[in-house]
Amino acid sequence: MGLLSPQDEAVLKQHLSAITKPVTLLLFTQTFGGSESGTVAKAILGEIAALNDKVAVVEKNFVLDTEDKAKYRVDKAPAIVILSDGDDTRIRMYGAPTGYEFVGLVEAILVAGTGKIDLDPQTLAWIQAVDKPLHLQVFSTPT
Amino acid sequence: MAAANPLITADAVEATEFMDLTRKYRVTGVPKTVVNETIEILGGLPEQDFVRAALEMPDNEPPTTA
Repeated sequence: MGLLSPQDEAVLKQHLSAITKPVTLLLFTQTFGGSESGTVAKAILGEIAALNDKVAVVEKNFVLDTEDKAKYRVDKAPAIVILSDGDDTRIRMYGAPTGYEFVGLVEAILVAGTGKIDLDPQTLAWIQAVDKPLHLQVFSTPT
Repeated sequence: MAAANPLITADAVEATEFMDLTRKYRVTGVPKTVVNETIEILGGLPEQDFVRAALEMPDNEPPTTA
């Protein structure tokens, strides 16, 4: 049995139908010495990708795929890097995307797949005016 | 925010999984946002308040920045 109920799958599929651009979810996991959350993350991403053919999951080995790890500046695992039509969205999720994180993941996939940013025009203008690097780390828990 | 500006990167971190970071940034409640290692935003704020706090915009008194 999957992690998502048939009802959740139906709702999610509806949301994902807005996607027009290919979305790639790069999943970095650690086979040895890694936590169980990597397995959970893989299962969740697989269930999402099964609902929309524009969403694909590509697995990377956190220890062995050093080139991609450096390219996407991934410093811990499990990590999900979200690509929009092959381009880095600069959105990362670290840890298993369960609970509230799952909502964040779906929203990030929608931003990547539609190119639409659901922000107030004033807020968007402030963000677009940022002219120096800004690194946000948002800490949350599954419940 | 990251999607709107190439200079911005956004990490969502599961706090219980990465305890070293949780300790480093003294995460005692969630959500907590750390911007460029220095600005701390506690709790979920309305969109404009959050962005103002993250960008340290003047004429603003973000309720929970450290």
